[in-house]
Amino acid sequence: MTMSDDTRLAMQGTIEALTAGDGSEPVVVNLGPQHPSTHGVFRLKVTLDGEIVQDAEMRIGYLHRSMEKLAEERSYTQNIPFTDRIDYLAAMSNNLAYCLAAEELLGVEVPPRAQAIRVMFAELQRVASHAMANGTFINDCGAWHTPLFHMFRDRERVLDMFEMTCGARLTTNYMRIGGVAFDLPDELLPTLEQFLADMPENIANYEALLLENEILHARARGVGVISPEMAINSSLSGPVLRGTGVPWDLRKANPYCGYESYEFDVPVGEQGDCFDRFLVRMAEVKESLRILRQVVDTLPDGPYLADVPLHARPEPGESYARVESPRGELGFYLVSDGGPAPYRFHCRPPSLINLSALKEMSIGGTLADAIVTLGSIDIVVGEIDR
Amino acid sequence: MTAQYDATAAMEIVNASAPGAACIDEGVLYLEPDTLAESIRTLRDSEESDLVFLSNLTAVDHELHFELVYHLQSLDLNHILQVKARIFDREDPALPSLTRVYHGAHLQEREVYDLFGIRFDGHPDLRRMFLWEGFPGYPLRKDFLQMPGQVRAGLPGFPHESEENAWPVPGSVPQRPLHPNDPQPEGEVVVADESEDAS
Repeated sequence: MTMSDDTRLAMQGTIEALTAGDGSEPVVVNLGPQHPSTHGVFRLKVTLDGEIVQDAEMRIGYLHRSMEKLAEERSYTQNIPFTDRIDYLAAMSNNLAYCLAAEELLGVEVPPRAQAIRVMFAELQRVASHAMANGTFINDCGAWHTPLFHMFRDRERVLDMFEMTCGARLTTNYMRIGGVAFDLPDELLPTLEQFLADMPENIANYEALLLENEILHARARGVGVISPEMAINSSLSGPVLRGTGVPWDLRKANPYCGYESYEFDVPVGEQGDCFDRFLVRMAEVKESLRILRQVVDTLPDGPYLADVPLHARPEPGESYARVESPRGELGFYLVSDGGPAPYRFHCRPPSLINLSALKEMSIGGTLADAIVTLGSIDIVVGEIDR
Repeated sequence: MTAQYDATAAMEIVNASAPGAACIDEGVLYLEPDTLAESIRTLRDSEESDLVFLSNLTAVDHELHFELVYHLQSLDLNHILQVKARIFDREDPALPSLTRVYHGAHLQEREVYDLFGIRFDGHPDLRRMFLWEGFPGYPLRKDFLQMPGQVRAGLPGFPHESEENAWPVPGSVPQRPLHPNDPQPEGEVVVADESEDAS
């Protein structure tokens, strides 16, 4: 097929007009609200100059359920299921943080066995949540679901353990003010032993598959970099903060539920890029397995729930309790006026606050890098919007 | 363990640079709203307090006034300080933004603006975040959602606390085990009728 000279000239003119520096205009692209890279109903509005991100603005609220208002009309125990739905990928950690805040208000002493069970499930939840985070992050880097489903095998086994203990897989509603809802079923510990025996080989496989992977390095090294000073000033927490080299982990800094009696390290990154966040999460899974091993070996006997009235009325006051959830510093701020329901119920959401620096991380990179950066922050939209 | 930073020491640090900017009421440090951002910047930059990390920022509606609550954390010295500020103007509540001190205040202040209607002067991008522009009212205020008959939102009391709505006497209803592992009760156990389920 031949092209006439007129057509050729016209096309050349069009291309020149499109690529001329003075005539080009920035293009606004909406990522989401429904898009695989946004991990939920989340809209990222990026302004592009060619392929380079000039501005990134997030639009959220599609999943807003006004939980903080709803919680003001329900008793302290009735609010526990809300915390499942705040971060549905780490329901156990959310249950735990809320129960710690309520226990601080009520002055409840938690029995040692309940504390050990809480640590066990919080760490199992971290393994499951990091499997999801790392799997979807590698998806965002371009691997089409193969590593994700390898990691989902492990997550499934954790969810099976949740199911056999409390009957639910995602929205567990397992923790109670003063302990946990049920004692461990007989079949849990053998299943957990088998899980702990299998995991080192699985992790070695993932590391062999991913750590030296050239494509993953090309996509994630040096992308979405943030400095430690900027990360602290932006209130970032969790693997995003530790990826910059700041060893800040509330399990070490402010131990709760007896974390001070377990031996574990706080993995940190060096450069603060997406790959470091991925490495920190991979290393944290190993540390979680170390903690789980110690919990199983030292699990005390005794009651699993303190004697707390179901409809407790705390004295007027306030409490702020924080845990290290898989996504970062998760806090609950409760205010009591002496009534049966909290006067104020506030959740400090790590997913939302970790997005504070998303714009700074994305500007200057390409659009594809912005997607990798968003994936490396590991957001849960239920927690952003609440 | 994270220690609570002494409020008196923090008050002295703030008042040394701006006299009268801080006071203590029942063990809690209150800052003057007008000079809030400078006071918190002083606490952040002082080597003694070193409160470099804004852990939490939220508001509470106390009906007569709004209370802004800040949890400031030092990572190196591992202590936390709770700081509060009160605003009595309910028509147009406003106070200085912390975004120039902590970049992490950006989204948290937008959330407070969205749900409480408290303005933050100096915030670069103060728009509603979860709700849309033009949404009537601010949901986390206590006067939002007036129920019919001027009943306030909230839980007045539990059902068993009034006579007419009393809970059943313990033991009068056969208890079912909560979990398969719990000991099964002796005697009759209520089992759902399968024919009803089928219909």
